[in-house]
Amino acid sequence: MAESGSGTADKSVQVKLVLLGEAAVGKSSIVLRFVSNEFQANKEPTIGAAFLTQKCRLEDRVLRYEIWDTAGQERFHSLAPMYYRNAQAAVVVYDVTKASSLEKAKSWVKELQRQANPNIVIALAGNKLDLVQPSASSSGATSTPESEDEADDATATPGEAAAAGDQPESLRQVPRDEAEAYAKEAGLLFFETSAKTGDGVVEIFTEIAKKIPIEHILASSRGTGRPGAAGRTGGAQEGGVNLEENAAKSKDACNC
Amino acid sequence: MSTISTQLRSFKEPTKDQLTQLSFSIPSSLTDRADKDGLEKMEINAVLSLSAEAEEDSYAGKLHLFPPFLSFASLDRKSCRFTLPLCTIRRVERLNARAGIYALSLSLWHGMKIIVQLTSLRPTADLFCSMLRDALKAELQHGQMKAVRSFVKTCYSETLVASTGPLVDEELEEKTPLEGEEGSRGTDIPYHVGLGLKFKFPGDPKKLREASKVKLWTTYLKTHGRNLTLLRYPQCTRLVQVGLPNRLRGEMWEVLSGSLYLRFSYPGMYQQILKENEGRTSTSTEDIEKDLHRSLPEYSAYQSEEGISALRRVLQAYSFKNPELGYCQAMNILAAALLIYMSEEQAFWLLEVICDRLLPGYYSTSMHGTLLDQRVFESLVQKCLPIIHDHFQVVDVQLSVASLPWFLSLFINSMPMVFACRIIDCFFCMGPKVLFQVGLAILKINGEELLKIQDDGGFIQLMRSYFSSLGNSAHPHSADPRARAITRFQELLLVSFREFAIITDDTIYNERRKYRNDIIFSIESFSKRAAVRNLSTLERFTKEQAGLVYDALYRAMCIVPPPAPVAKPAPSLIGDGSEEKPETRIGLRTFRIFLSEIATWARDEKVIINGIQQRVERDVAEHEFIDRLFYFWDVSCKGALSFQDLVSGLDGVMFNDLMENIEWFFNLHDKNKDGFLTKDEVLQLSESLLFIFRFEVGDAYLGAVSRFMTNAFEYGDALLPQPEDKRESDDVPPSDIGHNQPYLNLATFRMVVLADEILESFFETDLSACFKLEPVPMMDLPSSHNGFLGDLISNIATDDNKKLFNRFTDRIGQTIGRHQVIHRPAIGKYTKLDEPKARESLLIPSMRQSPTSPSTSSLATTARAPSPSNASTSNLSAAETLVQPPDISPLNMVKNANEALMERPQFAIDDALDDDTDDELGGEDDGVMDEVDAFLEAHDSGLTEEQRELAKGKSFSDQ
Ligand SMILES: Nc1nc2c(ncn2[C@@H]2O[C@H](COP(=O)(O)OP(=O)(O)OP(=O)(O)O)[C@@H](O)[C@H]2O)c(=O)[nH]1
Ligand SMILES: [Mg+2]
Repeated sequence: MAESGSGTADKSVQVKLVLLGEAAVGKSSIVLRFVSNEFQANKEPTIGAAFLTQKCRLEDRVLRYEIWDTAGQERFHSLAPMYYRNAQAAVVVYDVTKASSLEKAKSWVKELQRQANPNIVIALAGNKLDLVQPSASSSGATSTPESEDEADDATATPGEAAAAGDQPESLRQVPRDEAEAYAKEAGLLFFETSAKTGDGVVEIFTEIAKKIPIEHILASSRGTGRPGAAGRTGGAQEGGVNLEENAAKSKDACNC
Repeated sequence: MSTISTQLRSFKEPTKDQLTQLSFSIPSSLTDRADKDGLEKMEINAVLSLSAEAEEDSYAGKLHLFPPFLSFASLDRKSCRFTLPLCTIRRVERLNARAGIYALSLSLWHGMKIIVQLTSLRPTADLFCSMLRDALKAELQHGQMKAVRSFVKTCYSETLVASTGPLVDEELEEKTPLEGEEGSRGTDIPYHVGLGLKFKFPGDPKKLREASKVKLWTTYLKTHGRNLTLLRYPQCTRLVQVGLPNRLRGEMWEVLSGSLYLRFSYPGMYQQILKENEGRTSTSTEDIEKDLHRSLPEYSAYQSEEGISALRRVLQAYSFKNPELGYCQAMNILAAALLIYMSEEQAFWLLEVICDRLLPGYYSTSMHGTLLDQRVFESLVQKCLPIIHDHFQVVDVQLSVASLPWFLSLFINSMPMVFACRIIDCFFCMGPKVLFQVGLAILKINGEELLKIQDDGGFIQLMRSYFSSLGNSAHPHSADPRARAITRFQELLLVSFREFAIITDDTIYNERRKYRNDIIFSIESFSKRAAVRNLSTLERFTKEQAGLVYDALYRAMCIVPPPAPVAKPAPSLIGDGSEEKPETRIGLRTFRIFLSEIATWARDEKVIINGIQQRVERDVAEHEFIDRLFYFWDVSCKGALSFQDLVSGLDGVMFNDLMENIEWFFNLHDKNKDGFLTKDEVLQLSESLLFIFRFEVGDAYLGAVSRFMTNAFEYGDALLPQPEDKRESDDVPPSDIGHNQPYLNLATFRMVVLADEILESFFETDLSACFKLEPVPMMDLPSSHNGFLGDLISNIATDDNKKLFNRFTDRIGQTIGRHQVIHRPAIGKYTKLDEPKARESLLIPSMRQSPTSPSTSSLATTARAPSPSNASTSNLSAAETLVQPPDISPLNMVKNANEALMERPQFAIDDALDDDTDDELGGEDDGVMDEVDAFLEAHDSGLTEEQRELAKGKSFSDQ
């Protein structure tokens, strides 16, 4: 929208980005959140792959993301190279409430590092964070399933249940530390996200934008992209107010 | 970490008979049943006509008897056809023979009479009639005739035809009476219905002209039969092309696809499968669960428990019935669409037909069918739309990024449901070629725009906006209101079936055949890379070397497939916590073959010279030593080895130096791993050595083993720990300690080995060198000495022929006394041929104490494992005793043989396939494709009469 007038259109860089990860971890939902700031509770499984684009503004640069959202089921695996060929960036998604999905994510990372474009920027995203967060601002919508879980948890792990009404946290199967440590070791960007609330979603794409080699020249002229990112993160932590948050971002960095 | 499947290798091209049967949608499971009863198939030339209101012409064609079916197709294979279950034939009469005419009148269940005039020679016609009689009798005996009555009640068409007997036109035009009727009936509807009846069908019934369609179909079904007895005349296809009416759709899908015959023949099976598997979970059921709420979620039925649980049952039942395929995403969307128009049971059988016959391999774990058809589609685009294809090449756009979902979900999630359903109507009626025709038409219609796109993304976006505009007018600016009324969807169908009519079932079949091997190869190399990548450790191998190990494993698995990988965990084990990934593990039999690919001593290789040709025959060796290795490498004690086990196992021996090899060999024989060999184990170890050396030239190795044994027992006895022995008995010589007691430790063993030069060099280099990862060359030597025979051999395509030929030349060789069989040595260091000695003599009888030693016998006889050369080996066994005449240096022989060898073609099986198929239908592909080109050129002119009619039909129904 705005960037066309700013005279930076000529600097617009196309970035091919691919999303990979086990079925139903929320790849399509993350894309939908990023592209149209929406969430659909029952998203159809992706067949083959879906394609969407979104612009992302970073300082005086405009990135045009071409997003390939792939199918997650194991048997679609052999199709994946068709979509990640020539990709400059990849978001490998897992579900924080499902340990096996991190294993799958790791094997994707391994494959990308060996088979894909050698300079590919990879981000690891642990999605469905809303399911494990103490329901402060987002609790309104999540009534029945959570109360059921609470009941279950109370019998299963009394110790944890006692810990200050933090029951949802016990849905978590992948500790943040563990995933983060892995990401660090493998040289990946790391995020925990919720496509449902929007937490962390935009950050993935802006941080990737900063790391894309094309940006390197510009980025090196001034420190890092931190200030912008910090502002956004602050907004995201408040949660809930997605529309405002997004409006802020479009001024600042993304969703032009 | 991963599964390895050789399943694709077992693909067999269908025979001509099977293809014909497929073209009539006759399930093979049903004809197999009749086959067992000894009922034969037969075809005969015939002319078909409808006896009564014969408004249609008669059609010449072929009548096929496929018990329990009788089917007919006109010569063009599309105008007119039927597939009748024999049990729907009530009566067969021979019409009074006029001069030279032999005709049968068949009365069918629904009261129609059809006349088939058999135009073949009279004896043939007589034979056909008697076979038809037998087949009908068998059906009667099976009680199938009786089953028809209750079955047809489950079909909506019966009610439709009955209720509209004295149908008044207005009644239908209003479209309400039908809806009202079903409301009052509630649950006593005798026929199967889909969710659409309750939750509404997609689309506006007025706009879809439902009432007119129903009326047309009612008339058609009355005169041409219905459900089990439907006769397909040209009008039927035309009516399908303008779109089936929603309420009849489900049944017509069943009839046109042939899934109706399955439902008819296996009553109750659907419910039974569900019952038998109640509560069972598997990876498939888990995957299904994830997707239930993600299948056409915007359709109201799938927001209700009723719709969701119907979908769950259908998908689960399918996965239980076909555990190997299980569940693939996209099947949920397909099943969800089917269920709108048909009952669970109907959808279940239709899903079976789709996955099994119409879209073979599409949803399999490798999705090879999908990949293959994408390749076929690409090649059709290249041939039919070369400009678009070239542009895509230039800008590096991959066709399948857009087209793959079209095929995989039958356009359901690409275009609005009403349009997708109409393509599906045609798909069931005319077969899978429809998908290709529509795909090509989409590209052709968007040709100009496509030439402007620059990347995959642009392509996808263009397609998306095209699909969303399908309801718009194709010629919005035309002056002619009739032209304006044609929608883009109508235009699409028109182009599909007009311009691409030349794409026939044969085209698809031939193209698939052409690319199948490519696809299999690329899938296999992909899974190879994945398997290597997923190894938890490569050990000291490079990726390439691990790849070679994989290749050997794969070849072995092709010969002896391992038990089904633990893909579906045993149903009883509901272990949710410790989810173990399914993993391919091979058993001992496969392992022997694997090892024979890698270790020289694990195969028995014979160079056979018979004066005419010279060839190598290879058998898999069997010996306790190999079994021991198997269990040695089975570190997790699973009784089966994974790829990782093999890699780690090989690593344990292939990189060893002298000392490590000695230790490795020692450990291999130290069964209880206490650091001591027992006496028995020393003997076994010696036998292992003898086994490895069995084909070495000369006596050197045998002498070495013999010395080894003498020394081992000498040192062993000398070094026996005295105190332990004392307890047993003081005066018995130490050599008499039990066979199972610790006897020889590593240090002593090492000493004994190093005392012998030959053994030392064996452990220093030869042992490791016997393991070779490079593929072993093929077994046949090109015959170099004789031009004439060389030609002959190259003309012998099949394995069977080769075997025959080999046997034949061997016999000649034996007669002319030039037959020789030379065993290839495993190490082959010594080339000098000493006087052959009987090897048995080396084992002094007193030493052979181990009472059960089956292995010794295998020293002399060649163990035979499954191998293509079996037939010829057995024939040769007599000749084997004449081995090795002294005037020939076997090593030279072998060397020459080796030099003459061509590189082993990657996959022998592929070649065989190629040969076979080329023989049958060679060279047709090109012809067809030329025709495509010619057709496209010729057809720019315009529509034929029939097509115009079709167009009219569409604009009438669809406006
Ligand atoms: N609570 C919660 N649910 C989510 C979140 N993201 C996705 N989901 C839900 O998880 C399910 C799967 O989401 P998708 O985005 O379709 O998953 P996917 O990874 O694209 O799945 P495939 O296309 O099958 O590979 C949907 O029902 C979503 O509503 C999230 O952040 N929080
Ligand atoms: Mg998705």
